[in-house]
Amino acid sequence: MKLAHHLGGIENLGPVSTDTRVFAEPWEQRIFGIHTVMMAESAHLANARHAYPVSTLPTTFKNDWTWASLRTGAEDMNPFEYFKYRYYEKWLGGISQFFVDQGYITADELAQKTAHFRAHPDAALPEQPNPELSRQVDAYLLNGDSGYHEAHAAPRFAAGAEVWVADPQAVDHTRLPGYLRNRRGVVDCVYGGTFAYFVSTGVDGIGTPMPVYRIAFDAADIWGPGKSEPNTTIYADLFEAYLQPVADQPNNERTEA
Amino acid sequence: MSNLFEFPEDREASSAAKVRALEALLIEKGVLGSDSVDAVLKHFETMAGPFNGAKIVAHAWVDPEYKQRLLDDTPKAIAELSLPLGMAGAEGEHMAAVANSSDVHNLIICTLCSCYPWPVLGLPPYWYKDPVFRARGVREPRAVLQEFGVTVPPTKQVKVWDSSAQIRWFVIPEQPANTGHLSEAELATLVTPESMMGVALVAAPAV
Repeated sequence: MKLAHHLGGIENLGPVSTDTRVFAEPWEQRIFGIHTVMMAESAHLANARHAYPVSTLPTTFKNDWTWASLRTGAEDMNPFEYFKYRYYEKWLGGISQFFVDQGYITADELAQKTAHFRAHPDAALPEQPNPELSRQVDAYLLNGDSGYHEAHAAPRFAAGAEVWVADPQAVDHTRLPGYLRNRRGVVDCVYGGTFAYFVSTGVDGIGTPMPVYRIAFDAADIWGPGKSEPNTTIYADLFEAYLQPVADQPNNERTEA
Repeated sequence: MSNLFEFPEDREASSAAKVRALEALLIEKGVLGSDSVDAVLKHFETMAGPFNGAKIVAHAWVDPEYKQRLLDDTPKAIAELSLPLGMAGAEGEHMAAVANSSDVHNLIICTLCSCYPWPVLGLPPYWYKDPVFRARGVREPRAVLQEFGVTVPPTKQVKVWDSSAQIRWFVIPEQPANTGHLSEAELATLVTPESMMGVALVAAPAV
């Protein structure tokens, strides 16, 4: 059971941050940029719906790198560290480790180079522009990477249907918010077409193209009347694999939050 | 939350050196060009950012029929306006708008990560990514909004939109009173990213 899968609903955390900055420190821009370049040169884009010529790009990067990669890493964190580290501190840790694990760099190289820049914070980066890669970065940002596919069958549920959110076996990465497991809601919208996810989540159920639904939940049905606020509706976009007909719900009852 | 934890004194200097080391090594190894990261950052200064969302909202305020089209088919309505290229690009492939009104207040959240409509709002601010907001926003949105200075009366419905699949949501806030005389461009200057995520109302300009 992973903290990040069950973050929604946790109590007693104290006040929210109201910090409106995107980057709390200037260095954070660089790790955001590195991640986004990796997404733009990810090998999977050769076969994406909007396909990009990544197989002929002048880059040594040969892995898939998508949101699923970054999210899986964050979900794998120690829960205390998940709260301890700032957003881009988590990215810096996860992305550095990825490059070490995949053999692009060694931990020693990174430690030595880090010591060098600690001693010489203004030392220049190597000057080695890659115009073709910059053009691919622009193309990726302008055109994106949609998971949309045509539908080949009717969606299982219609707008207005009451549904029950499935409780699939836990895996390392999911797009099912934990607080919705076993809860009942109503189909508010059936999105047209079908949507793939970047990776298969295995027994969790998503990956191949499937319909996505907008489900409306009364907050009291999720948290219980004593732990929710009145007159509040939660909407969640859920892949079809995460939904079941109400008739299939064990005991037709829900347990308390 | 972070005041519960101890951090080394050189926390930021150490991260700054590490990210610079990582970028230098990746350039040396041919994973990145020395201009690649800057290409990303430039996109968010010139092409994708809250300056686009503000124009969309201001146009919806002055043209109620446009507002309806924006709610009915968000990507199509956005494409009507003269905005930079890429309004259906990365993290905006499937966007949807919801409107605040006298009866409804909307709050956008991503409890699993930090899904955000990049083309119209740029990159998410710190509060949106912080786990405390993501934990509390779905259970006690009114209490969270109060901490941002927004009081939602109990008679008003709160709708919370948790982004976990393809849709990236944003809010059309209500136009502040006594701004009917302002031009569309002047109205756009009033619209903040926070108002387009639902944690702020749009204020009229100080007289």
